Amino acid sequence: MAALQEKKSCSQRMEEFQRYCWNPDTGQMLGRTLSRWVWISLYYVAFYVVMTGLFALCIYSLMCTLDPYTPDYQDQLKSPGVTLRPDVYGDEGLDISYNISDNGTWTDLVHTLHDFLEGYSPAAQEDNINCTSDKVFIQESFRAPNHTKFSCKFTTDMLQNCSGLEDPNFGFEEGKPCFIIKMNRIVRFLPSNRTAPRVDCAFLDQHHKDVQPLQVEYYPPNGTFSLHYFPYYGKKAQPHYSNPLVAAKLLNVPRNTEVVIVCKILAEHVTYDNPHDPFEGKVEFKLKIHK
Amino acid sequence: ANTAPLLLLQKTPRIYSVELNGAKDMKQTDKGDGKDKYRGLQDNCLELRKNQRQEHLTKEIDLDDHKLSNKELETKYHTNIVTGLSSTQAAELLARDGPNALSPPKETPEIIKFLKQMVGGFSILLWAGAILCWIAYGIQYSSDKSSSLDNVYLGTVLALVVILTGIFAYYQEAKSTNIMASFSKMIPQQALVIRDSEKKIIPAEQLVVGDIVEIKGGDQIPADIRLLFAQGCKVDNSSLTGESEPQSRSCEFTHDDPLETKNIGFYSTTCLEGTATGMVINTGDRTIIGQIASLASGVGNEKTPIAIEIKHFVHIVAGVAISIGVLFFIIAVSMKYRVLDSIIFLIGIIVANVPEGLLATVTVTLSLTAKRMAKKNCLVKNLEAVETLGSTSIICSDKTGTLTQNRMTVAHLWFDNQIFMADTSEDQLKQTFDQSSGTWASLSKIIALCNRAEFRPGQERVPIMKRVVVGDASETALLKFSEVVLGDVMEIRKRNHKVAEIPFNSTNKFQLSIHKTDDPIDKRFLMVMKGAPEKVLEKCSTIMVNGQEQPLNNSTAEAFYTAYMELGGLGERVLADEFPETYSFDVDAMNFPMSDLCFVGLLSMIDPPRSTVPDAITKCRSAGIKVIMVTGDHPITAKAIAKSVGIISANSETVEDIAKRLNVAVEQVNKQDAKAAVVTGMELKDMSEDQLDEVLTSYPEIVFARTSPQQKLIIVEGCQRQDAVVAVTGDGVNDSPALKKADIGIAMGIAGSDAAKNAADMVLLDDNFASIVTGVEEGRLIFDNLKKTIAYTLTKNIAELCPFLIYIIVGVPLPLGTITILFIDLGTDIVPSIALAYEKAESDIMNRKPRHKKNDRLVNKPLAVYSYLHIGIMQSLGAFLVYFTVYAQEGFRPSTLINLRVEWEKDSVNNLEDSYGQEWIIIALILSYGLGSITALNFTMLRPQYWFVAVPHAILIWVYDEVRKLFIRLYPGSIRDPGLPYSPGFVQNIVWKDVQSN
Repeated sequence: MAALQEKKSCSQRMEEFQRYCWNPDTGQMLGRTLSRWVWISLYYVAFYVVMTGLFALCIYSLMCTLDPYTPDYQDQLKSPGVTLRPDVYGDEGLDISYNISDNGTWTDLVHTLHDFLEGYSPAAQEDNINCTSDKVFIQESFRAPNHTKFSCKFTTDMLQNCSGLEDPNFGFEEGKPCFIIKMNRIVRFLPSNRTAPRVDCAFLDQHHKDVQPLQVEYYPPNGTFSLHYFPYYGKKAQPHYSNPLVAAKLLNVPRNTEVVIVCKILAEHVTYDNPHDPFEGKVEFKLKIHK
Repeated sequence: ANTAPLLLLQKTPRIYSVELNGAKDMKQTDKGDGKDKYRGLQDNCLELRKNQRQEHLTKEIDLDDHKLSNKELETKYHTNIVTGLSSTQAAELLARDGPNALSPPKETPEIIKFLKQMVGGFSILLWAGAILCWIAYGIQYSSDKSSSLDNVYLGTVLALVVILTGIFAYYQEAKSTNIMASFSKMIPQQALVIRDSEKKIIPAEQLVVGDIVEIKGGDQIPADIRLLFAQGCKVDNSSLTGESEPQSRSCEFTHDDPLETKNIGFYSTTCLEGTATGMVINTGDRTIIGQIASLASGVGNEKTPIAIEIKHFVHIVAGVAISIGVLFFIIAVSMKYRVLDSIIFLIGIIVANVPEGLLATVTVTLSLTAKRMAKKNCLVKNLEAVETLGSTSIICSDKTGTLTQNRMTVAHLWFDNQIFMADTSEDQLKQTFDQSSGTWASLSKIIALCNRAEFRPGQERVPIMKRVVVGDASETALLKFSEVVLGDVMEIRKRNHKVAEIPFNSTNKFQLSIHKTDDPIDKRFLMVMKGAPEKVLEKCSTIMVNGQEQPLNNSTAEAFYTAYMELGGLGERVLADEFPETYSFDVDAMNFPMSDLCFVGLLSMIDPPRSTVPDAITKCRSAGIKVIMVTGDHPITAKAIAKSVGIISANSETVEDIAKRLNVAVEQVNKQDAKAAVVTGMELKDMSEDQLDEVLTSYPEIVFARTSPQQKLIIVEGCQRQDAVVAVTGDGVNDSPALKKADIGIAMGIAGSDAAKNAADMVLLDDNFASIVTGVEEGRLIFDNLKKTIAYTLTKNIAELCPFLIYIIVGVPLPLGTITILFIDLGTDIVPSIALAYEKAESDIMNRKPRHKKNDRLVNKPLAVYSYLHIGIMQSLGAFLVYFTVYAQEGFRPSTLINLRVEWEKDSVNNLEDSYGQEWIIIALILSYGLGSITALNFTMLRPQYWFVAVPHAILIWVYDEVRKLFIRLYPGSIRDPGLPYSPGFVQNIVWKDVQSN
C-alpha cells in the first residue's frame, strides 16, 4: 500500500511488476529463483504434511479413547427434550392451526403423523422383543444377536384411537386431534426408578384453565412411557430401538380461538423448568381450530 | 629590579578576527537564502516555502530603526524618550498589536484528537462492520418481524469496542501530554518601563512599541529594543545566533544590518551585565525571535516513522481481512447461502482478522516507554516520538549547550615554556598539572587578583562550579578556576587590597589592577595585568621561567607565539598574564610604568564538551548513527569541539588538513581521502541541493559551522532526502525550525528556550546528550517489542478465522461466534501484549545499524507469513483438536459433525441425533458463566480438563519457535529474522475453547 503513495507513473509500475514477475538479471521469478521456489515449496509441503499427520494422529488417538457405546460425558444432556408430532413451526415455536371444514388444511398434518408412525409398524418393529414388565429393563451383557442388546417393541396399535388404524384422520376431522409426544433418547438415562413417566397436557393460559380444564385422552392409557423402554444403551448396542410414544387426544379445544397447550413429562429425573430451554421436559404449542 | 616580579595578565577578548565578522557571514547567508539556496529547484512545494522564507527575510531587512536618530524614533513611535508613552496610548497600542508574547503553537482541539482515535486505524473497518450488522438486521426485520437480535448485538458490541479502545488510547495519550503542560508553565516575566513619566514594573506581555524600558544585568530583554542609552551592556545572543560569546551593546549605530548593529537588543536574549535603556520597536510575533519561531510553525510536522509503520500494518491486515472476506463471501454465495448470511460471514471474517485491541496496546506500550524515559530525564511530548529515536540514523546536534557545557572554562595553561592541561569536566575536581613551579605561584596570584568577577554572597555550601558569579564569562571561568585551585579567592583578595585598577575595554584590550601585597616585609605595590596576548607581550621585557625572571628575547617570544597559535588552533580563547613593582600613581593619569613588565603565562579557555558526550557519540557510532554538528559558532571552535567529542574522530582529516599535511593546494587533494568535512554557512549558501547531498553522503563526519536557522533547516531536509530519519538537538530559538522539521526534535530542558521546547518532540530535562543514547535504545527496544506484539496478535487471527472458513466449507457447527472473537481479541490483545512491552533488549541492540525507513518495516512479509502460515496454523490445529475433543466426548464424533450445520441451526429440529443415537435440542443462545445469562454470547461452561487438550500444541509452537531462533543464531542472515517472540499460542488456545457446544 505504501508503494501506492509514491508518485510513479502507470507504465513504471507495470514495468516494476513485470520485473518482479521475471527478473532476467538474477533469474528470479516472483522474487525468488526457481531453485529457491522448489526448496521453499518442499519445505511448506513437508511442514503441512507433518502438521496434518500430527493432527490426524491426535484425532486418531482421540477416537481410540472414546467408548463406542456410551459418550464420555453427558453433562450437557441431563434431561431429555420433548418433541411433538405433527410439528409445524410458526414465528415463535410450534404453531398448528387448521380448519375442520377444509380438508386441505389438515391432510398435511395427518400425513406427517402417518409418516412418523411408519417406523412403528409391526414390520419395522419385527426385530424387537415384546416386553411386559413394569420395571426398567437393565441389560449388562450383550445377549441379543450380533453382540447387541434387546430393544422393546412399540407398535402403532398401542396408541389405539390415535394409531391411525381405526381413525386414519387422527381425530382432526372432528376437531379432537391426536398429538404424538416423544421423549428424546439419552444413553443410559432413567427417567425414574419406580413409576413410569407420564405425560400431562394442559392449557398454558390461566383463563382457559379456569373456564374449562383441557380434557385429554392419553394412549397408551394414563399417558405413560413404560419403564421397560429404559434405559437406552446407544445406537450401537440397540440398533433397532424406537422411542416409546404417548398420544394425546384433545377433546375440548375451543373453536376459532388460539390456545397454548403445554405437555409436560412428569418423572423423577425429568425437569421441565429450565428457562433457557423451552423443550426440555415439556413441549408447548399453539393450536387454533377453525370451524 | 630585584623586586618581586610583577606579572602582567592580559586578556584577549578574541584571538581570531574572523569571529568579529562572524555574525556578518551569517547575516549574508540569510539574505542570500531566498535567492540562491533553491536555485534551479522545480518542486512547487519547495518554491512555495522559499517564498515564505523570502517574505520572512524581507521583513527582517525592513527593520531600519537602528539607523534612525532618537528624534526620528520619537516621531515614528509617537513617544517621548524621557516621559515614555502615556497609559492611554499604551492601552490603545496593546489593543492594536496584541500582547507582547509569542503566540503558542496551534493546538489540535481535544475533540479532534478524540475523534481521530475513533476513526483511525482499524476503527473504520469495524464501524463499517457495525453498520453492516445493523443494516442486515434492518433487512431481516423488514421481512420477518421475529428475527433474532444477534446482529444488533454484534453491531453494538463492535461499536462499543471501537469507542472503548478509542477512549482508552485517547486517555493514554492525554495523560502523557499532561506532563508536558505542567512543564511549560513559566513564571511571568516583568519589565521596568517608563510610562506617564513614571517608572513602573509591568508584566512584559503588556509592552507595546514605543515603550521606554530599562534593563540591567541578568534581565531578559522583554522585546526587540533600540538602545538609547547603554553602560557596559553585554548581551548573550546564543539563543538567537548560537554564539556563546557575549556581545557588547551600545547606542551607536554600527552596522547596516539590524542583527549586526550594536544598538539593537533582541527579545528573549539575556543582558549579562551593565545597564541600558531602550525603546521597544517590535513586540510579540513581530520580533526577530518571533519571526524565527513562526518560521518553525510554518514547517509542517512530518509523520512519525512509527505512524507510517502502523499505517502500513493496518493496510496489510485490512487488505488480508477484506480479500479473505470477499473471497469467502463469493464462495458462500455460490454455495447457495443466503446473501444476508454471507454478509454476516463477511463481517465475522473481518472481525476475526482485525486485531481490535492492538492499537490500544501500541499506545500503552509507547506510553510505558515514555514513562520509563521520563525517569531517565527524557520527556516525550509526542508519544510516537518514542520510537522515532530508535530508527534515527542521523543526529544533527547543536554545539553550544548540547555538546558543550555552555560556560567558559580554563582548558590549558602555558608557562615555563610548557602547555599544561586543566580539567574541564563538569566539577573540575582533578587539576592534575604541575603546581610546584615558582611561575605557577605567580600566575595563580594574578588569576586571583586581576579579576573583577565575584561570587554572589551566601553560596558557601554550593559546589564551586554551580555558584552564581557576577562578571563576564572569561572572568567567571578564571574565578572558578582559581577558587578550585587556590581556595578562598575572596580572602586572598582581601589580603592583597586593591588600590587601583583599569577595567578592561576594547581599545586597551587589557585589564590592570594594583594591590598592596600581603608580604609584610615588602611594602611595594603589586601590579597585575591580563589581556590579549599580543597586547600584553608588548608591555613586557622579561619572562618568568621556573620562578626566575629572564630577559624576553626572540626565541622566548617565538615560543610564546607557538603556544599562542597552538592553543588558538584548538579553538580556545587565550589570555596572557603578568607583574612588577610600583610607586605612587594616579589611575586616571596612568602615571605608573606600563612597560618592562614580566610575562608569566598564557591561559586558554574554552566552552568544554560535557564529559558524557564523547562516550555517547561513540555509542551512537557503534549503533550506526551518524552524528553531524550544526552550529552557529565559528568553524575553528566547532571543529575543535567536534574533535574533542569524537564527531570528527582522531584519525580522520578534512580536505584542508590533508592539504596542509601534504603542503599542496586544497583543490589538489583527492576528496575521497578525507573522511571529515567542515562546511561553513558561506559554503553552504553556494551549494546546490545535489552538492549538499554529495557532501552528506560522501563524508561520514561532518561539521556545519556558522549556519543560520534557515540553513539548519536545509541541512535537515538534505538528510531526509537520503531517506534518513533525522534527529535534531538544540536549545536556541535559532534551532526551532530545524527541530520542527526533523523527524524528532530534541530540546534541552534547562538551557533550552521556550521556542525550542515548543518545536521539539522530546525534551532532555538534564540537558545531557547521553540521554539521547538511552532514548535510541528505548526506541529500538520498543520497535522490536511492537514487532513481537504484532506477531503474537497475528497468529491468533488464523485461529479465529479458520473456524469460520471450516464452518462455511465443511458445515460443522460454528465453533466461534463473532462476538466471542471480539471478547477473545480484547482479552488477549491488550493484557498479554503489554507483557511483551517489558521484554528486555537483545544484547546487540545498540550494535545494529538503524533500520532503513523504507526497507525494514514493522510488519514485513516474513513476519506475516510466519505468523499466519506457521504459528497460526499450529494454533488453529490445536484449537480444532479441542473443538473435536469436546464434541466427541459429548457424543458428536468428527464424522457426524461434518455437514451437520443445517440441522444444527434449524429451529425446528428438537431431536438432533448424535453419534450415539442420543437426541439433542440445540439451543442457539445460551450462556451460563456465573453472571447469569447473557443471550448474545454463545457460551457454556466446559470441563476443566479441556483447557489442557491443546497443551501439546502450545509446546510444539514453543519448540518450533526456539528452533527457528536457533537457526537464526547459527546461520545469521540466512533467513530474514521476523523478530518473533516466545510462543504466544497458549492463551488463545485456551480461550478458544469457550465454544458453543450445547
